[in-house]
This record gives sequence, C-alpha cells and structure tokens, in this order.
Amino acid sequence: MPQATGRADATRAVVFSPLDGAGRAELVEQRLTDAIVAGVLRDGERLPSESELARSLGVAVVTAREALVALRDKGLVLTRRGRDGGSFVTHDRDTSMRMIDERLRAVSRIELRDLSLHYSAIAGMAAEVAADRASDDDLASLVEIDARADLATPGGARRAVGRFQLEIAAVSQSPRLVHEELRLQAEAGPLLWLGLREEDSRDRSHRARLDVIQAIRDVQPEHARRATTEHIASAVEWLIDEKVRLETARHPTEGGRP
Amino acid sequence: MTVTVDLAAEHIARRIASTIDPVFTMIDGWRDVLEAELAGPVAGALSGSPEPRAASLDPVVAALVSVELERSASLVNGAGFVAAPGFLADAPWHLAWWLSGSNTFGVGPDAASTLRRLEAVSDPDADQFRDYTTLEWWRVPARTGTRHLTGPYVDYLCTDDYTVTITTPVRVDGEMVGLVGTDMYVARLEQVLLPVIRESGHPCTLVNASGRIVASTDARRATGALLRLEGLADALTPLREEADAATVTDAAALPGGATLVPCGDTSLALVLEAAPVE
Repeated sequence: MPQATGRADATRAVVFSPLDGAGRAELVEQRLTDAIVAGVLRDGERLPSESELARSLGVAVVTAREALVALRDKGLVLTRRGRDGGSFVTHDRDTSMRMIDERLRAVSRIELRDLSLHYSAIAGMAAEVAADRASDDDLASLVEIDARADLATPGGARRAVGRFQLEIAAVSQSPRLVHEELRLQAEAGPLLWLGLREEDSRDRSHRARLDVIQAIRDVQPEHARRATTEHIASAVEWLIDEKVRLETARHPTEGGRP
Repeated sequence: MTVTVDLAAEHIARRIASTIDPVFTMIDGWRDVLEAELAGPVAGALSGSPEPRAASLDPVVAALVSVELERSASLVNGAGFVAAPGFLADAPWHLAWWLSGSNTFGVGPDAASTLRRLEAVSDPDADQFRDYTTLEWWRVPARTGTRHLTGPYVDYLCTDDYTVTITTPVRVDGEMVGLVGTDMYVARLEQVLLPVIRESGHPCTLVNASGRIVASTDARRATGALLRLEGLADALTPLREEADAATVTDAAALPGGATLVPCGDTSLALVLEAAPVE
C-alpha cells in the first residue's frame, strides 16, 4: 500500500533500510549516530530491539548489538532493563554538536566536493525531470510539504529538505532516482544539511525550495535543476567554511583564515 | 461532433479494459465478502467476531487476497483492506495489506520469497505514522464513493517500484468503513498491454486520466512522462471528473489530429496519433 508507512517521514524510514558493504557495525553505528545527532531520531525515543534492527538493516544480530554498545559508549543511547526496557535515544545537545563537528573534521574537502557533485547529479536530474512530469496534484503536494515545514528548528528544517527532495524524486517517476535519493539521504544527509542549524541557511533553503516549486509550476526543467544544484553547492560551501573554523579553533598556531 | 474511429482502435480499447476488468471484478468480490461479514444476517460468520476487530478480520482478509497473490500469472503484487480511522474496535488506524513473493521490498537478500504482510505504522503518535486518508488512493474513492485507479507512481514505501494502485470503498449502512484494493507493477502491466496496443498499426499511447503515459508503441513516449498534446487535458477531464468513468465511452478528436479512445471503465484512455508517413 503506497506511502502508508510514512512518506511524511521517509528521511527517518531510511535509517532502518538495508545496509551493504564491509564494516557493518561501524556503518550501523554511523547511521544511527547521524540520525540521533540530526534529531531524526528524537530524545527519549525507543530504538528497535537488536533483532528488529538486525532484520531491517540486513545485518547479523551480533552486528546490531555491537553498534548499540558503541552508541551507548558514546552516550547517545541508554539501555534500560525490565518489562518496559530497551535502548532509548538520549539526545544531548552538546554531545551531538561535538559528534557532528568530529565528523566534519574527519571528512576531507575532496570528499565533500565529491559528495556535492554526486548528490547534485541525482537531485538535479530528479528536479529537471520532475519539472516536465509533475501533474497538478504533484505540484500541490510539493507546495504542501513546503507549507508544513517547521523552519524554527534545525531538525524540522532538515526533515523538510529530506521530504521535499524525496517527493521531487518521486515526481520524476523514477524508482532508481528515488532509491538513490534515499540512499544518499541516509549516507550524507545529516552532514550535508548541517548548515541548517543556522537561521540564515534555513531561510536560504526555504527560498531555494520556493524557487524549485516555481520552476516546476512553469515547466522550466533547466531552472529547476539549477535551483537544486545551487542549493546543494551552497550547503557544501557552508560545510567547507565551517571545517576551516573548526580546524582553526583546534590548531590556532598553525595559522587560520587569511 | 462525429468522430470516426478505427474499429480496430475501439476493439483495442475494449481489450485493454478486459485485461484489467478481472482485477476490478476480483476487488468487487472481496468488497462483497467484507460487507457481508461486517453487517447483515451473516455478519461475523467468517471472523467469529460480532464487532469489527482487526484481530479477527485480518485472517479473513489474508484468506481473501492470498490466493491471487500466490498465483504466478497474476497482475497483482499487493492487496488487502484498509480500515477507516476509528472503525475497528481494537485498531484505530489499520492496514491489512499483503505483498506477493515477487516483492522483496524491505527484506534481506536471503529472505524466502513468499507472501508477506506489509509492516505499517498504525500508532498515530509515532514519527513514521502517516495519515493515509490524505493519500490519493484513499482520498479519491472517499470523495467519489467509487473505485479509483491511482498511478503510475513510485511507491517507495511499499512496493518500492513503479506502481498502479486500484482501490474501492467498503460500506456498512452507507458509510465508508474502509477500502479494498490491489497494487500492480507498471512493468508487468506494460508487458501485458503493449502487445495489444501494438496491433493498431498507429503510434498508440495508453495514458491515465491525468495524461500520464502507462505504455506506448512510440519509443519517444516514455512511461511516466505526461503526454503533452493540444486539447488532451480537456478531453481527459471527464475521465477525471466523472464519479463513474464507465459513463465516458465516446472517442474524442484532438485538434492535432490524434484520437482519444476511453478504455471502458478503467479511467485509462488510448491516444492514437496519425500513422507515420511511409
């Protein structure tokens, strides 16, 4: 049955979609960390059990357990025993900020720019095709997603971006673009949209969304693509600036910004 | 306005309708069983429960849809019943939806390919919860009181593929208490319908009531794209607006020389363009 499990929050649903590749416990840990830090998984929320996690992520139970232990060690998850027990998200703002800063320090500029290109290829193409293929109903649902966006908080703004980009991919009528959009959101979303913790970025992101909607309304595929890729490029520029700030703060003697 | 339509085109439109009609008939049959189960002299006969409860109704729905979902030649890859909010005593929001073995969405690579239940979030306080009464496959039949064909669309949270969904209301005492329906892969539909529409000898495109292409003999007409022909949107309006698409049977001539032929009561239509110059 279409969308019933929550198109509204597919950004969250992807958190529990299957993983592939090596180092699976680290991947599980990274994905859940990102989701907690970004506020996609909320403070106090109960995580699925070890066996449920293992099943939905397509990993062994022991792998899921390993990841949960690591999250516990990082202070992102609390485990309670007993009848109402389980693993619960503990979203500590300071811990979260430190985590994401560490992630940003660890990733190279080359990787960030490559991510920008990859995501632009997917999201830009989706927007271009969506502008040609959107029905009146599709346009109405994009407008609705924008209208419901909670721009007051970073988590709300990020969920809005995720939903909007996913809907654009769906409007392009391409299961592959939808799939790739979801995969990239899971892999890179929390890092990519880190800038949304600043109000300026949230406003910019909102304006970009309105611009894309207008381009789709006017059946202007080129414009829809450009508005989308420029939005992504500006998010990555913010990340690179932020990376410079972090590096300067850590090693003040090694020279900072000019 | 008199439209001279190739008899062959009318014939093809009827054959397309007759490919999909058995699915309609099957869904109507499920509806009849559920309506008899939920009210009237034999209410509760199958579920053993006098009041409508998810726990007792689910096995009835599973039994209804599983035969079709397990049939290898079936057009259908998902089917079930969705309850109106508040109708079932033990489940305010409820989807009793099953997926056939051909559908591997959300299952690990090693999972056996068998009939599975869709795991839906029915707790309205959960983050992933979605009010399904806002979605097209619910919204439209709830408004018109009749069957609706949604799509083609990318159903990324259920079948994870390019899908057409057909839904029809289930009523108790005139009130819609839920709906029954099916999902079909567009690729499977195309496989079945393309040989039929090829027989016209014209460039021929099957569209839904929004003008979205379901299948075409013309390689440049991509499935999923909107067919943009002058006058097409207007000519399709009756298929979108009519509560019962069955009343729209007349072919219409489009300004550019193409002809629109509705396919029975499916809400789909054939667009025949002028034969290419040899």
